[in-house]
Amino acid sequence: MSAATFARGYQALKENIDISIAAYFQSCVHCGMCADACLFYTETNDPKYTPIHKLAPLRKVWEQEYTLLGRLKVWLGLAQPLKDEELAEWKEYIYDSCTLCGRCSMVCPVGNDLVYMIRKAREGMAAAGHAPAGLIGATTRAIQIGSPMGLKWLALQTQIKHVENDTGLTIPIDQVGAEFLVLMSAMEIINFPEYLAAVAKIMKHVGKTWTISTEAFEATNSGIQIGASDIAKELVSRIVKAAEKLQVKTVISPECGHAYMAIRWEGPNLMGRYFKFQVKHILEVLDEFRDQGKLKTDGIFETARLTYHDPCQIARRGGVIEQPRNLLKLIARNFVEMADHGKMNWCCGGGGGVSAIDEAHELRTKVFNRKKNQLQELKVEKLVTACANCRIIIEEGFEAYQMELPIIGLTEMVAEHLVEK
Amino acid sequence: MTKQPTIGESLRSQGISRREFMKFCTTAASLMAISPALIPQLAKALENTPRQSVIWLSFQECTGCTESLTRSHAPNLESLIFNTISLDYHHTLQAASGEAAELARAEAMKANNGKYLLVVDGSIPLANPGYSTIAGMSNKDILLEVAQGAKAVIAVGTCAAFGGLPKAAPNPTGAVAVQDLITDKPIVNVPGCPPIPIVISSVIAHYVTFGVLPQLDGLKRPLSFFGQNIHDRCYRRPFYERGWFAESFDDEGAKQGWCLYKLGCKGPVTYNACAIFKWNDAVSFPIEAGHGCLGCSEPDFWDAGGFYQALSVPLTGTATAVSYAMVGGAALGVVGGLLNRQKKSEAKQHHEVVSIADLKRT
Repeated sequence: MSAATFARGYQALKENIDISIAAYFQSCVHCGMCADACLFYTETNDPKYTPIHKLAPLRKVWEQEYTLLGRLKVWLGLAQPLKDEELAEWKEYIYDSCTLCGRCSMVCPVGNDLVYMIRKAREGMAAAGHAPAGLIGATTRAIQIGSPMGLKWLALQTQIKHVENDTGLTIPIDQVGAEFLVLMSAMEIINFPEYLAAVAKIMKHVGKTWTISTEAFEATNSGIQIGASDIAKELVSRIVKAAEKLQVKTVISPECGHAYMAIRWEGPNLMGRYFKFQVKHILEVLDEFRDQGKLKTDGIFETARLTYHDPCQIARRGGVIEQPRNLLKLIARNFVEMADHGKMNWCCGGGGGVSAIDEAHELRTKVFNRKKNQLQELKVEKLVTACANCRIIIEEGFEAYQMELPIIGLTEMVAEHLVEK
Repeated sequence: MTKQPTIGESLRSQGISRREFMKFCTTAASLMAISPALIPQLAKALENTPRQSVIWLSFQECTGCTESLTRSHAPNLESLIFNTISLDYHHTLQAASGEAAELARAEAMKANNGKYLLVVDGSIPLANPGYSTIAGMSNKDILLEVAQGAKAVIAVGTCAAFGGLPKAAPNPTGAVAVQDLITDKPIVNVPGCPPIPIVISSVIAHYVTFGVLPQLDGLKRPLSFFGQNIHDRCYRRPFYERGWFAESFDDEGAKQGWCLYKLGCKGPVTYNACAIFKWNDAVSFPIEAGHGCLGCSEPDFWDAGGFYQALSVPLTGTATAVSYAMVGGAALGVVGGLLNRQKKSEAKQHHEVVSIADLKRT
């Protein structure tokens, strides 16, 4: 049986250094501005969490493999080649303290895409066997069982029955030729089946055909979080295969941040081809319905003072910023913006796989302090978001900081305000 | 010797009102970036100071600097200030000639020993002392003699400051700048071909007021005038930013007043205040007249490539070396790039698929 080795990790790092990464390292002016953009630095004041520092091993490989000076340094004994212990030490920086939120990439004055580099550095870490146990577990379950949380179709089937009983609506399964293929995230299946009910209600309201696939219902992609493109590709291809088999026009990514990034942005690159269908986030689809005048609201507005938490992968890295605001205006009277909202939002602290890393729990609870303060400043009575992972992390954060604030998914909230037909 | 009249007395005797005098003080203060709080001090100092003795020596020059400083837009306050200094010796301007003239210089040097200001225009020939002499003395000898008792030396014009036109390759007269010969006195360079009139009067006013020379840059030029380049203050700068350039002197771009960079304007590397103070009583300056800056206030401007060659074009001489270096560098880059590409593609070829079984170590 094959296994992870340092040599494989080193090889993966070497393989993943591309023109962009070489240009980024060469352009880096060591200004340290990325530190102030990183939640893990601002909340701990510990310089070891500076984003560019998290890339030190990758930089070392680039320097020593691809630059003349770096090779000379090793040759003259002025620099030491990368060691396994370094990778082990950097596990905390590359996984535990990075949610792939991409805020650092936004502030870099020379335009270095730091989050892209972390994502690539994870490839080496995973191949070297330095990925966190929690992520290895999730990835193994995703491949073997079909969902990172170990859910089989049976679990979803049970939830579907519950939803059908509660709402009286039918959930279409494996309908060839439906317009939309709706995916779910494991967290929604277990924790927030309301999402499924909301989608069913909205689809009936707008009169669109949709379906769920028994072969690909899980939208999340642990392969991307752990940094194993081969595995990520396998997970994406399940969705692509199912979507193309069912001949759907659009695949709807659920209220989950990284699932959207995985299918929409990384997906075609992993597969090496265009898809025969479109990929949209549920909020994009809902906003299109709104734009076409298909969403008839009941005229009862939310009056509670509420704000919207932008999930990083949906807003900053996905560009879905206007859509949730358009939808909120439709149903809420007292909507206020958080500081740094939109593309410069602050991460909940649990994205990019961090929520699956047990040993990172303490750290991410600590950095949740930022979101806590933001919300306390606003004095809101309700928090809306569009990512099940953010939702769980925020709920856990509230618990840790003994805060009470109802939190709801936007799709669910929209569904609540539609007129019954 | 009779008591020298103060500047204030002298000005009043010429009918200059107090108001005009204060206006000059304010202008001078703002030009030299002196705090407004110091204007009264400036006025008081100018008012009560005995007229500063100035000895003006002209060497290898064209008299353009003198023209600029004394005649170009006289009468104005700059020239008035000239009336208020005691210009004890100046070839071009003095009435005396022959031995009487040289006597005036000797007397002034004696009476104000260690206190007078020496102003020099023109460069000094070292190849053969006979190239330029005054009353039988070589320029070098006269400069060293007069500089000895001077408080400070002001080198006016690019010739005196950096050697200027006479020093242009192949420098037949072996011309050197004042600062090449005088090393033990404070020197201010006021370069330009010619320099802006108000710069010299401001430097003198500063010296009279505070007893010290103004703050200088690395080339000993007053920072307040030479601190910024023409380009940064040029009214055509917005066109540069947009990439709108005149390509020839009669194309549409030239007519529209676009940036003259491609026509050889040296504004980006020339530190001077022309774009701010302009010339001929602030009427215009070369760029406004449609011609690029020649860079006349910079050392060796005459040999800094063609006036109509854009700055980015390499100068002759170094061009070959630079192009070889470029070709060599590019070749090295290509080879390095190919090697890296090979390494990377090897790394890709040796890619081992990572499956879930490969995530843990055995």
